[in-house]
Amino acid sequence: MNQERSGGAAGPMSTFMPQAIDAYPVEFTGSGGEYFRVWIVNVLLSIVTLGIYTPWARRRTAQYFYSHTLVAGSPLEFTAQQRKMVMGFVMLMMLTIAYNIAVRTGQDTAVGLFLLTGAALAPFIWASAMRFRLAATRWRGLRLQFTASWKEVYIASWPVFALALVWFGVFFGMQILSPDLAQALEAVEEESTKAPMPSFTPAMGGLLLLGLVLSILCFIRLEYNFKSLLVLKAQLGAEKGRWKPVYMDFVKIWLATVAVFILCVVGIAVLVGVLAGSSIALMASQSERMGLWMIVVGIVSAVVGFFMLILASAPARAYREARMFQLMWDNIGVSHVARFKSRLKSGSYIGLRIKNMLLTLLTLGLYRPFARVSEYRMKVESVTLHIKGGVEQVAGAMVRQQQGALGDALADAAGLDLIG
Amino acid sequence: MSASGEHPALVPGRWFDGHSSKTRHVIVSLRPTPQGPSLVLHPLSQAGVDPVVFACKQVGWPEAWNERKPQPRVVVDLRDHGSVEIDAVADWRAALAAAGERPGIAQRMQTRWPMLLGVTAAAVIGLTLFYRYGTPWAATQLTRFVPLGWETSVAENVLKQMDDGTLKPSKLPPERQAQLKARFDVLVQQSPATLHRYPDYRPPLTLEFRAGMGANAFALPGGKIVMTDGIVKAAADKGLPDDALVGVLAHEIGHVVHRHTTRMVVEQGVLNMGLGLALGDVSGIVSTGASVMTGLAYSRSHEREADCYAIALMRHTALPTAPMGQLLLAIARDEEDEEGKGKSKDKGSDKDKKAPGDNNPADAAHAPTPQSAASAPDTARKRKLGKEAESHPVWSLLSSHPETVKRATELEQGHAPHCAKS
Repeated sequence: MNQERSGGAAGPMSTFMPQAIDAYPVEFTGSGGEYFRVWIVNVLLSIVTLGIYTPWARRRTAQYFYSHTLVAGSPLEFTAQQRKMVMGFVMLMMLTIAYNIAVRTGQDTAVGLFLLTGAALAPFIWASAMRFRLAATRWRGLRLQFTASWKEVYIASWPVFALALVWFGVFFGMQILSPDLAQALEAVEEESTKAPMPSFTPAMGGLLLLGLVLSILCFIRLEYNFKSLLVLKAQLGAEKGRWKPVYMDFVKIWLATVAVFILCVVGIAVLVGVLAGSSIALMASQSERMGLWMIVVGIVSAVVGFFMLILASAPARAYREARMFQLMWDNIGVSHVARFKSRLKSGSYIGLRIKNMLLTLLTLGLYRPFARVSEYRMKVESVTLHIKGGVEQVAGAMVRQQQGALGDALADAAGLDLIG
Repeated sequence: MSASGEHPALVPGRWFDGHSSKTRHVIVSLRPTPQGPSLVLHPLSQAGVDPVVFACKQVGWPEAWNERKPQPRVVVDLRDHGSVEIDAVADWRAALAAAGERPGIAQRMQTRWPMLLGVTAAAVIGLTLFYRYGTPWAATQLTRFVPLGWETSVAENVLKQMDDGTLKPSKLPPERQAQLKARFDVLVQQSPATLHRYPDYRPPLTLEFRAGMGANAFALPGGKIVMTDGIVKAAADKGLPDDALVGVLAHEIGHVVHRHTTRMVVEQGVLNMGLGLALGDVSGIVSTGASVMTGLAYSRSHEREADCYAIALMRHTALPTAPMGQLLLAIARDEEDEEGKGKSKDKGSDKDKKAPGDNNPADAAHAPTPQSAASAPDTARKRKLGKEAESHPVWSLLSSHPETVKRATELEQGHAPHCAKS
């Protein structure tokens, strides 16, 4: 076997054995300062072109990150055609403008139609975004592919429909449990005033809680279905993806995330309680200017409270992201050829995210490129690729460039980021 | 580096042909052509194989991110023919330059400081010009295509919502209402067509009275103008003649005939979309802040335009504008006094600066949401009279109306420097 061992390939060196397993840590050779330059150029050109530069900016960003990510010594390539991305962007803009006009001019039917179509097409949009992204990714001349059929995508989306059923059930269950509520609802419909306030029974609370738990389980199932579909139906050349995680792994991560969130909220509540207690005591001592101070304190606490909510959920969000990344990249592979291992530490990732968030806020967003690079680097460099039998054996399947990039533009609008 | 001299430089590379992940060692050379450099691949493994030539357009040229510290490895995209990895990045860059590479503007900004600074300056100037002149102009033109029927239906919705909310039926005696309506009708009849920006736009102008919302008046798109009991009372309290109220009505008619609400909807749309796209990646705070500030600047210019209209109309009908200016000042002073009562004087300044617009239902009326399509209440100048507010021009950027004292002075004098025709 003629192996390429340039770059920072470390791990067991056993090139004599044809079936030896080699470890290649994934490298990222970019830097925050360099990406800042990329980013500021994008921002400036977007300003000059009134936002039309966006698809070019997206491509440059993706190319910067891809070309500085070395997998087994070879950089990734982002090869999406610029023309396609621009067309996708223009179509998305026209849809947005049409939707906004419909909203502004109060055409409720059109707005409803837009929203319904959007909901029905959500799995389609997700799948076309993934199709576009994987097809635009190339490594050692080979394109990735997403081979799931539309039928498979919609079958994997069953939790969405289950979710609708759950809330349908809750709604009617409530009416059966409490005839008062049904009356109240009717009263609301008839716009008559002062229906008797429905009493809230434990059974109703239980039903509501059941509905909530079921819908959360549905959400997790949806995430699991999509992620596993993405990996199992991804293909590098002729080699298919491999997927090990089970549904319970996802549920466990979710439970742990809730625990982290509750911990943060309790911690911050205690802190705020202590601070607020002391400031109220301070105010009470000078009750003369009480009125004005109450207003000031009210405004300040509203602002602080809002930031606290972001702050309290930030560690939980970072934790979830880190654990999910770990689970995914520790348990997937490429057929029998390659396995990924990730050593991402949740604690340090949370720390990094909080530091980045604070610095981004302080610099009014100018720190964002540095934050992006540091988070990307921590995640990507935690991954090691273990290859059995050398990197040269993957045979290609003839793949042409993927058509149409509207899916990508839509995914961008929906907040599914290309990088990270 | 090695690219000097007559011969094109030869750079070693690894070619992946797209059929497998197998490496094929090649030598890459670049030839200058009129369209830009073309790329030639010389496979090393088999002797006697012809080199493969790719025209400039058939190659995805990788961008240079950093001139001084090149990345360790670049990949050249050969589309369906796979890709070539090159380790000698410095040689590759030199060969590209020698073969007449024409880098795009993004790459030149990326690697050359003067270019970056130049585009930054262009961005600042372009942005200022666009949002200062371009957007208002485009909004003015686009508004020509908005039918009156749409404006009327929006106005009906808004007024209904306000009637259900803050507004109450007027308590003014019917005779007084009829008296003011008569003055209003005379004013409308006397308004000359030469003052109109939209010659074919002839909405039916009507006056209505409501209670609530303090001393105020506002215009709805499509020609409905609402005056509150508060402003009528304020004029009476100050002993000002009805000419003051007529002046206020002239200002509101100005909003209607200039179609300010409709123009604001268009302007706000352009702002939100343009600035959202351009600055959205910096941060939500920056992009929202920028579009709010620009929106307020448009609102101030609309107010000035309505003032100019009022001055011109009043002059045309031989009525004085001074009482209107006095009314404006008096109302602002009243509101300031009221606020002064509520709090101690020394602490006042902080809050004063914070709040322009926030507690004023009138100021909010400029956002293009249906609830607030009402245009241009007159008395939003509250809190601006205090010396602390005047001393700091920054706070005037956070206001939907121009500075009251200046406005009142201009009205009293009957002409303003920014008005074209006076």
